[in-house]
Amino acid sequence: METMQQPHVLRLTEGDVLIKSREEDCSRGGTHKLGHSECEEVNPFSFTPQLIHLHRDHELFEDGDIHRHMYLQDLYISEADDKPALSVSEFACHISGCSAHFSTLDEYEHHYNSLHRHVCCSCRRSLPSARLLDIHIQEWHDSLFTILAQSQDMYQCLVEGCGQKFRTSKHRKDHLIRIHTYPPDFRFDKSKKDKGTREMKKQLQKDTAMEVADDVCESEGVCEVMCDVVSDRPEQGESMEMHVSAEEAAPMAKCASTGEHADVSTAAHEPVFTSTKPVNPRSSYRVPTTVCFGHGSVRGFRGRRGRRK
Amino acid sequence: MRTSQMSSWTLLQENRQENGMHLLVSLLTGSNAQWRLQAGRCLHELSLSAHTSVAAACLPATTYLLTYLSGQSTKFTELCLYTLGNLCPDSAVQDKLLAQGIIPALASCIENQRHNLAVVEAVGFTLSQLLQAKDAAEKIIPMVLASSLPSHLLSVLTPDPNFGLAPAIECAWCLHYLTCSIVDKRELLAHGALSQCSSLLVSLGDAIAVGNKEEGIELLVCPLLRCVGNLLASCPVGDLNTQVCDVHLVVALCALIQAYLQTRPALARESAWVLNNLTAHSSDFCSALLSFNLVPGLIQLLPFSQGINTLILRVLANVSHKKKFCVQLGQLGLLSALCATLKMTDQEMVTLSLDILFMLVSSTPQLAEEFERQGGLSLLEAIQYNSEGEMRRRATYLLEHHLLLL
Repeated sequence: METMQQPHVLRLTEGDVLIKSREEDCSRGGTHKLGHSECEEVNPFSFTPQLIHLHRDHELFEDGDIHRHMYLQDLYISEADDKPALSVSEFACHISGCSAHFSTLDEYEHHYNSLHRHVCCSCRRSLPSARLLDIHIQEWHDSLFTILAQSQDMYQCLVEGCGQKFRTSKHRKDHLIRIHTYPPDFRFDKSKKDKGTREMKKQLQKDTAMEVADDVCESEGVCEVMCDVVSDRPEQGESMEMHVSAEEAAPMAKCASTGEHADVSTAAHEPVFTSTKPVNPRSSYRVPTTVCFGHGSVRGFRGRRGRRK
Repeated sequence: MRTSQMSSWTLLQENRQENGMHLLVSLLTGSNAQWRLQAGRCLHELSLSAHTSVAAACLPATTYLLTYLSGQSTKFTELCLYTLGNLCPDSAVQDKLLAQGIIPALASCIENQRHNLAVVEAVGFTLSQLLQAKDAAEKIIPMVLASSLPSHLLSVLTPDPNFGLAPAIECAWCLHYLTCSIVDKRELLAHGALSQCSSLLVSLGDAIAVGNKEEGIELLVCPLLRCVGNLLASCPVGDLNTQVCDVHLVVALCALIQAYLQTRPALARESAWVLNNLTAHSSDFCSALLSFNLVPGLIQLLPFSQGINTLILRVLANVSHKKKFCVQLGQLGLLSALCATLKMTDQEMVTLSLDILFMLVSSTPQLAEEFERQGGLSLLEAIQYNSEGEMRRRATYLLEHHLLLL
């Protein structure tokens, strides 16, 4: 095993020199006594080359640290307006079932990357990341998983790097809350049973913020379903309903805060659901071949960032 | 949409923080991509605020910001990263983020997005914030070292000519915070940190020597110097030649000293510090100083103050310590330089000068004669009356054993 040299701290302020000498080193001088030497005959010279290690807050670093801080402060330029984006006439998202519209490519890219990636092709839910999607597919759509889960711990912790597994999703949820301080209502970890009218109620009673969200339907609050189908359905029989059916619309109508939606057949006007467009339930969104977003749009951000040290 | 953004901002401002934050989180996780972005921007604005209660108010959002780091909308990821980075210094936020796995998340992010330099820069920034925590050495750094982050940081160090220095700057600062905080640097050395940082310094030094004044280059030079300096302090002498392959590092360091002497003296000092660590135990690097004819330039720096001359003198002392170089040093005018430094008021300068003088005259008697010819004896005699015992003893010893005998 090699021996590491001991780090030394050499204070460089004037008149305050503290030198520790290395044991292995031998200076030509001889004695190494600090401060006092007994008599004139003894060689008073004690210089040995020293390795100097500087800790983070050493005064030698002060000036550089200040410049670093100023650099970060300077980068906090007021959020510059977006560069004038390519002006194109308004266009729509090409994913069938999605009625979002955009006037810039930037907007479209963000929309697409946020909501149309990591989509489960069974239930068409969109998850925020590939990992969460994989976990979702496994837990919701994999019958082998269901079988194995009866006898072993199969529910993975959602936190990357944790690695723990649990017998039920409830155990996992408890673990997430207790150990990883997740919120109890984490949006991307609803169990299969957590569905239904309760969520819809919440949707309707939400304040103005969500009213305008007519580009995407959100049936569960779990993850977005990029279609106009109420999410309950697919789970029961893997059948994809294309329109809001009468049975589903009825509870909706009951919860509606205004009387406008009493008529079931006009459920299409419900702000949250758009059921006017036909949907192809079989299309898979997982890896669309027609659209490709590269890693461009890199340099445009420099003016838009701001951060504080 | 704008109205709701303004109103949520107002809500928070009016200290109805919980409602406002709840709203922001709903927007952040909702099904409208534009509103997610707006909510993110709102949170980012908040994170820039100096108000102490803001970080606590933003706690509920952190889980989602972290989740989105593995998303596909890179501009949103960038935004989340900067927001998290701004909030990091708050210890409650830090603890929460660590519990939620921010280190693995950052490692995945930099790995998956390594071709997107804007995101890489953002990861570097956020990590640099985390690494500055007071107890980073115990709570954060072990996890970072165990992850793939160090190798990614090193791979980003070489600046991309098109994108610019910013990602390299962030990663270099991360490496500096890592290096100066840990005692056992073997792991970092094994990753090649010293060889990479030093070869990058060589290229930067060369560029600066020919007058490259790219904006921000000092921001990269500074952390690299610190990494090299502290890694050298822990590098076993035997490994030095494999870790620092390029002997031209001495040239680069001297170039940096000269370039920054007037404009950024602190940076010149840091370069001199690294030079000390480089020459302390290595004959090869001392020899390089001589063969590249860098010693006269160093000698000319001895009159300068602000701490640089003591470091330069240390470097010269390192070289003198290796007996075989003493004659050459004498030929290059070190003795007359010492005649000047022996008259200085700075105690450390005088003591070091006496040490060097001793090393020179005891190894090479001709140098003793030379010193006398230059009128050095009277200087030593004057020092014998100095108030400081260390100096008196040295002067006396020199006179009695090496000089007056002639």
